[in-house]
Amino acid sequence: MNPTVLFSVLLSALTLGLLAVIGGWILGWAKNAFHVEVDPTVQALSDALPQVNCGGCGYVGCGEYAEALARGEAEPTLCGPGGAACSKTLSDILGVDVGDVWPIRAVVHCAATLDQRLQQTPYEGEPTCAAANLVAGIQGCAYGCLGLGDCEVACPYDAIHVENGLATVDYDACTGCRHCVAACPRNIISVIPFKQNQILAIACSNPEIGPAVKSVCKVGCIGCSACAKISGGLIEMEGALPRIDYDTYDASSDLTPSVDKCRMESMVYVGTTPEEAPEPEEETLQPLRADFESTVDHTEWRG
Amino acid sequence: MDTLTDLFLIFFGAAIINNFVLHSFVGVCPFLGVSTRTDSALGMGMAVTFVMGVATTASWALTRTLLRPGAPLVAWGWDLAGFEGAAPDLSVLSYIIYIFVIAGSVQFVEMYVRKLFPALHKSFGIFLPLITTNCAILFACLLVMKELQGPGPLWGLHHSLALSLGGGLGFTLAIVLMAGLREELEFCDVPKPLKGTGIALLVAGILAMAFMGFAGVDQGIADAISSAGGTR
Repeated sequence: MNPTVLFSVLLSALTLGLLAVIGGWILGWAKNAFHVEVDPTVQALSDALPQVNCGGCGYVGCGEYAEALARGEAEPTLCGPGGAACSKTLSDILGVDVGDVWPIRAVVHCAATLDQRLQQTPYEGEPTCAAANLVAGIQGCAYGCLGLGDCEVACPYDAIHVENGLATVDYDACTGCRHCVAACPRNIISVIPFKQNQILAIACSNPEIGPAVKSVCKVGCIGCSACAKISGGLIEMEGALPRIDYDTYDASSDLTPSVDKCRMESMVYVGTTPEEAPEPEEETLQPLRADFESTVDHTEWRG
Repeated sequence: MDTLTDLFLIFFGAAIINNFVLHSFVGVCPFLGVSTRTDSALGMGMAVTFVMGVATTASWALTRTLLRPGAPLVAWGWDLAGFEGAAPDLSVLSYIIYIFVIAGSVQFVEMYVRKLFPALHKSFGIFLPLITTNCAILFACLLVMKELQGPGPLWGLHHSLALSLGGGLGFTLAIVLMAGLREELEFCDVPKPLKGTGIALLVAGILAMAFMGFAGVDQGIADAISSAGGTR
């Protein structure tokens, strides 16, 4: 072979090889020089989390939550989608006792269906709650559910649906991920610990009293505080709205007198009824996968 | 035309007129992938600008000494081996070496930042591995290579730095604009078939058409600068 051609090939190979050796050497040196210790606990915690990065625990993602856990700054019970099984795995890794872990579930603090809300104005705008909330006078109650389903869209588990104009939680599917809480522009959804399958919740968010509430809603809380007076301290009034103390409320507490006393049906039992309650699931729930039905667009085109 | 005008035109050309994303359509994957929120888009843009600067500097040095016709290092090796005539042109190796240099420098920068600036690593470190095979950066390296082929005056390091800075900031501008538009899109009633990537691509196309309005502005600026210099 022509020696010039041979040397050209050799020169190319030599250049590449030399660059590879130099680059490899620099990176190898950097790997040792800039070595950062990664806590194996963080890795184990991160693996135990569902990795859906929902942010329900209050941290940016599962990775951040794992780091906070390892630093001892967070409780191992904050993961909604992971549930009790996940909390147990986390506490096993951390070597702490979590005690009783209650599942948290979303509760809509409004009980007024479409025909029970008064002073409604026909609304033809953008069919989202976020947009409708900017419009004054769409319905009499400025605190109640708008029924346009922002929470339904936000829910990754298909667990909340607008039924008869009111957002209704499907407690068989809810994981307490707080996506609906963030989506609701009127902040009427919150998560509460479910110590039994069915618990009592205040189903009104209107902080006004008597006539002001009655003029806008057939079932709104009028702030009479009758329920609080006979509840034995389990219910306290916050302004004109009762608030149930869920730290002390459990299976043994009997609030039936308060519920019977309420004239406005503002206190409702939420959750699955005991007989149809499913076996507690040990597995981590997976986010809903799209099927044919959920890809069909039912919203009206208003272009 | 003096050096400063040259540098300004290179910078302005790379940033606005021949915007890497909206004119040359390189770096579209991060442009669509990381443009859902303005703050992460800004982080991505800054990371691209930084890596582009590092990578073009490295590839400028390598091209200048090795990967061009008549490169001094190759000629030296040729003479050392005792051959007559012109030394071979190693620019066939440029692509593979650029990829190697970009991947290597990204890795190095990632480790360096992670060790010495943990806060910075938290904010844009997650984007660095994504840039390893970013075509916008390879594009910048290839533009620098084109200017080092001769004949005529070769680009200096300051030229390639101006190009990479302009290109990176142009990318940042494009991706932040896009992220702002997509944040607004969240509130729009987009027909379901177009939701997500579909409408994002349409918006990107319209944005690119808007940037076509800058075509030819560089010649106008150059004329304005030279005529202003002439009358002074």
